[in-house]
Amino acid sequence: MRLSASAIALVVGLLVNHGALASELPQRWVSAGGALSEWVVALGGEPKLVGVDTTSQHPATLKALPSIGYQRQLSAEGVLSLRPHVLVGTEEMGPPAALAQMRNAGVQVELFSAQPDLQTLKSNLGHLGQLLGNEAQADAVFSEYEHALVRHEALVATMQATHKAPGVLLLVGNAGGKPLVAGRGTVADWVLRHAGGRNLATHTGYKPFSAESLAGLSPDVLVFADRALGGDAARAALFKENPILAATPAAKRGRVLELDPTLLVGGLGPRLPQSLQALSAVFYPDSTESAR
Amino acid sequence: MSTLVKPRTLFIGLTLLCGLAIWLSLALGPVSLPLWDTLRAALRLLGVPLDAQGLEQAELILGQIRLPRTLLGLAVGGVLALSGVAMQGLFRNPLADPGLVGVSSGAALGAAVAIVGATLLGGLPEVFGPYLLSLCAFLGGLGVTALVYRLGRRNGQTHVATMLLAGIALTALAGSAVGLFTYLADDATLRTLTFWNLGSLNGASYSRLWPLLLVSAGVALWLPRRAKALNALLLGESEAGHLGIDVERLKRELVFCTALGVGAAVAAAGMIGFVGLVVPHLVRLLAGPDHRVLLPASVLAGASLLLFADLVARLALAPAELPIGIVTAFIGAPFFLYLLLRGRA
Repeated sequence: MRLSASAIALVVGLLVNHGALASELPQRWVSAGGALSEWVVALGGEPKLVGVDTTSQHPATLKALPSIGYQRQLSAEGVLSLRPHVLVGTEEMGPPAALAQMRNAGVQVELFSAQPDLQTLKSNLGHLGQLLGNEAQADAVFSEYEHALVRHEALVATMQATHKAPGVLLLVGNAGGKPLVAGRGTVADWVLRHAGGRNLATHTGYKPFSAESLAGLSPDVLVFADRALGGDAARAALFKENPILAATPAAKRGRVLELDPTLLVGGLGPRLPQSLQALSAVFYPDSTESAR
Repeated sequence: MSTLVKPRTLFIGLTLLCGLAIWLSLALGPVSLPLWDTLRAALRLLGVPLDAQGLEQAELILGQIRLPRTLLGLAVGGVLALSGVAMQGLFRNPLADPGLVGVSSGAALGAAVAIVGATLLGGLPEVFGPYLLSLCAFLGGLGVTALVYRLGRRNGQTHVATMLLAGIALTALAGSAVGLFTYLADDATLRTLTFWNLGSLNGASYSRLWPLLLVSAGVALWLPRRAKALNALLLGESEAGHLGIDVERLKRELVFCTALGVGAAVAAAGMIGFVGLVVPHLVRLLAGPDHRVLLPASVLAGASLLLFADLVARLALAPAELPIGIVTAFIGAPFFLYLLLRGRA
């Protein structure tokens, strides 16, 4: 008796609560931060988006939305002109004065962490799910994502049992000029490690390297995160210009690949598991096929 | 150089222009407000007791976003133009701008220390957080200018030429220090630094506005009192001395006002180029080199130019916005070239 009463109370409470929430859920969204916008879309929030920042490039349909500019330089009045109910963004969003002005104007400003780790992602997705009114879907999406990563981790572990982890360098280019090398504490480093590579760079952040020290590290694999270096012709030209780069083991064996630079911005994004698979396939060319 | 416009006509014209700039700056923005609402909200802000019904949004946007932004633009534009006149008068060179005495590069160094250093240091009391950047920029500008001034002094006299060269040397030195911070910065702080160097009136708030308003009002009231002395200085330092001007004191005041005014402007809005260089020229072209006209007219012209540039900055790409430094340099650089080449034709 007691049990059923409380069960009824719970059900009624849930129903009432849910109804109240649904009417108060924000319907007009502005999102700042590449990975975050991707997650909003992944959780079915795309129809609610009325504006995104310049780092929100995926999926391509987001580019058709009004742009609110760079996430650190938002204009309060510009965002307000889109009449949003909620502004979601990472802690990189600013300036603080503009955020305060938007809050004063009644816009719900929701901040998310861009830390590249699963725990952060879990709470971010939960939070987004609440705001979108589909927590169940958010849970499902997260467990699927977690599974994909765990599965991939296991795969990498089995490969590393039989193969030496390849030494990798990830180069973020400025159109083939002096490339910056991704070091510790970057999302790029996280990606390389989880794909089973050994990041040869030991500095922190992104730093320029001379071609000589690049060659001295003799990387087994080179990863380019640069829009200007997409395609074989561009890469051939780069190697022709930098003979030392062309002399690395990676270049000699053709173990060179590209990575979409937008993956490296704003925390863990929904496209990461596929990219990890693509990277691992090059890191462990013979064993990925058999493991599958 | 003959004057094209009588001072009276010039002041009436500039006052009207400035009034127009202020009105447009309050009336236009990415959010389109009905003109009638803007008017009523403006009257309410001035203290006229009107019915607030349906005016909440207009009042908020006008009072919290556009008004502080307009005041910031007025103060920054006015004080930058005024400092430009002071520097061109001090160096007796029409190509001089406030950057020459190191105030801009000093402020940039201060900003770099604040933006990059804050993440490296951490551990500062949080109260300083929002003001750290402005404070460091202001102190950096003041510090480097003081050093330039000290280096220019010998035997109780300030040598303007030495000061100029010291300014160039310290600007280079500060530039290399900024470069070092750029190297140490991570991606995010790097972009903050870049955008700061382009300047913006975005996110103006009253708490940041008051110090700047006080400083610029002080400078704008003080410098015009020295107009006659600046006119005498145009003849040369010894000539001015023979006319009974305390030249050393004048030089000290000019440098101090510039450091204070530009330092405060840069601290509030970041680096905004070309206003200090171009506006005095523009006014001189119209009204001649008499500082009694030049100084107050430059304040009005600088304030108007910056407000118009800001309108472009906030409307061109709405709802996003352009850094204002891009707009002022885009207008300023071609005009500067025109000035340079005009003499050759």
